[in-house]
Amino acid sequence: MSSSSIEAHIALIGNPNSGKTTLFNALTGQNQKVGNYAGATVSRKSGQFFTPHGHQFEVIDLPGCYSLSPNSPDEEVTRDFLLGDQEGETPPDLILCVLDATQLERHLQLLLQVIDLGYSVVVALNKIDSAEAQGLRIDPTSLSEDFAVPFVPLSALNERGIVQLKQALRFPFPSAPGRLWKGPAELEESIELSTKVAEEEGLPKPEAHGIQRIACPEDADTEAEQFIVKTRTEFIQRAVEAGLQRPDGSAQDFTDKIDAHALHPIKGWFLFSGIMFAVFWTIFEFASIPMDWIDGAFGSLGEWVTSKMNEGDFQSLIVDGVIAGVGGVLIFLPQIVLLFLFISLLESSGYMARAAYLMDRVMSRVGLSGKSFLPLLSGYACAIPGVMATRTISNAKERLTTILILPWTSCSARLPVYVMLIPFLVTGSLSQTAIMFGIYAVGTITALLAAKFLKPRLGATEPPQFLLELPPYQKPQWRHVFHQVRERAFSFVKKAGTLILGISILLWFLGTYPKSDSDDPVVQQENSAMGRAGKLIEPIVSPLGWDARMGTAMLTSFAAREVFVSSLAVSYSADSDEPESVRETVTNAKRPDGSPLFTPLVALSLLAFFIYALQCLPTTAVVKRETGSWKWALGQLGGMTAFAYLAALAVYQIGKLIGYS
Amino acid sequence: MSNLALHLERDSALTLSQASTGCDFQIRAVDGPACRQLRDIGFCEQMRVRKLTNGRNMLCTVCGTRLALSKDLADQIQVIPA
Ligand SMILES: Nc1nc2c(ncn2[C@@H]2O[C@H](COP(=O)(O)OP(=O)(O)O)[C@@H](O)[C@H]2O)c(=O)[nH]1
Ligand SMILES: [Mg+2]
Repeated sequence: MSSSSIEAHIALIGNPNSGKTTLFNALTGQNQKVGNYAGATVSRKSGQFFTPHGHQFEVIDLPGCYSLSPNSPDEEVTRDFLLGDQEGETPPDLILCVLDATQLERHLQLLLQVIDLGYSVVVALNKIDSAEAQGLRIDPTSLSEDFAVPFVPLSALNERGIVQLKQALRFPFPSAPGRLWKGPAELEESIELSTKVAEEEGLPKPEAHGIQRIACPEDADTEAEQFIVKTRTEFIQRAVEAGLQRPDGSAQDFTDKIDAHALHPIKGWFLFSGIMFAVFWTIFEFASIPMDWIDGAFGSLGEWVTSKMNEGDFQSLIVDGVIAGVGGVLIFLPQIVLLFLFISLLESSGYMARAAYLMDRVMSRVGLSGKSFLPLLSGYACAIPGVMATRTISNAKERLTTILILPWTSCSARLPVYVMLIPFLVTGSLSQTAIMFGIYAVGTITALLAAKFLKPRLGATEPPQFLLELPPYQKPQWRHVFHQVRERAFSFVKKAGTLILGISILLWFLGTYPKSDSDDPVVQQENSAMGRAGKLIEPIVSPLGWDARMGTAMLTSFAAREVFVSSLAVSYSADSDEPESVRETVTNAKRPDGSPLFTPLVALSLLAFFIYALQCLPTTAVVKRETGSWKWALGQLGGMTAFAYLAALAVYQIGKLIGYS
Repeated sequence: MSNLALHLERDSALTLSQASTGCDFQIRAVDGPACRQLRDIGFCEQMRVRKLTNGRNMLCTVCGTRLALSKDLADQIQVIPA
């Protein structure tokens, strides 16, 4: 769509969790991330839609904010956008203010602040379905009259009232109602003066800056600010008295009943660990079935290709390079799907905020607050959205600490490596689940200890504060959950088909050429480019118990962690003539003396390395962007990798000392 | 007489962290370094709160919304029984 036909820009503003992104998706047909917790959106997203009158508008989804005095970097984005201070952005022509109808009194505060800035506003009175279910009686006409802007009751989730909303966005937009209250002469004068000053400074939207500087001054709690807060609250209370009736008495609802257990200091922890354990157990128990299918399919494909093609280098490239490499990674698709399914379910049910509440007790021991746990939790899916989600943390030092430790919460790219290695340690899905649980726990606990070490050294002194909204539980939005999972699965398959395919082919070439005269695969392997590289790295990795090929596989895994698995599959499959499934290949790998290569101790040492190593350049790039300095990004990369090496070294050497091999 | 009423009211003012659980209160004043943040999330003067639990982080509801806040924040909120 060409942007030239866009007639106006509309911005979505509202408190966190009021349903802005759901409405954005309903309007534009996009599928941006929604979640039942504050902080699901941390950057601006834009899209387009047509009104029934045939006008085309651009709509911008912004992070939620409670007010125009930001407490965290994501809220700053929204304020700067409204004041026109955001570089490269023009202020919107109309604000679509999204209010949660079940929390009207609280959300009207922001509406009033936006109106005060001098914008034209249309109100989306969202979650009207929940309000009806709770027996709230809301009179949109009365509210429209009081606030002098249209109130459109709707349910973004059920796509009810969207058409009416589009109709209310009549173009050209009605003029702004302007400030709805008057202060004493003195205050009015100072607002006027402040507007003049902003005008002289050449700021965009001077009238908005004028009121903003008085209502939210740098030094908090001035007399003027107190007066304005009081006036606005009274205004809202008058409006609400006429426009909203809450049912008498507050019966215990569904959310209260669950929270009595979920937030209980003891039962809550049982529930939390139970949920986590169930997640890992499902990943092992159920994923193994489709995994065997995929593994078997690639094994048969290899056999079939072998039988159809003439023996030679090209056959080897296809079977030992492409099929082994791509198949080696693709078999982990079921795990990835399940992991993302669970994370999406947690996000959309409302449990995330409860987990943060419980974890606050632990997090405060290391100088962080429960709020830092939300980014860490997203880090289990992928570190990049996790690092971005730290924008909701108000304290800068706390945010930096969280970013620096975040890659130690095991992301999904490590999952294939774990799943491949764990069977070398124990058998039986329950004990394997326990090990997996342990791996995640070790990563998380080390991350927290690192925070305890780092935070005071970064110069942070003030103790963390905890203030969090606990949204009501709701049944998962299946459509959205499935969409998220499908997208993740698709991008995993795409990665296997592009990056991993490419690297597998490259590895095959490096492992095959230059050719030696000998027919012995071992001699040939040593003569190849990869064999030579392996010889170089061997002295570095042999103290960890690894052989040269594991060393080269580890090096290639800096391109993407999953590559480790395909890299092993490619390099060891050259050893045997029979095509076999990836897991057999690795299990059968032997040292030159015939002893098995993957002993429990070696597997443990590899695990230790992968738990701690930061092998993801996109993460480093995002850390650089979010912290604004290469110092932190590169320090984190080097520090974590060095730590990983030392951890693997310690595991192997101590293990050997106490008699394992 | 009105003096006495004022006295009584001042005596009955307490911070949200001292308030007993399961009861409804009205917010009298928000005062302290985090006052702006507290007002923004809904702890405004005149608003009604119900305190649900005590502890390191207490739970309360303001206008039908559940909020969790730490004790040092709750200390900055003065309430009177409603
Ligand atoms: N009952 C109900 N829930 C909704 C409605 N719109 C959004 N939600 C839920 O509110 C939560 C927050 O939505 P989201 O769009 O992420 O809010 P945002 O933070 O304002 O972007 C999600 O769990 C949605 O499912 C609605 O119309 N009715
Ligand atoms: Mg959002």
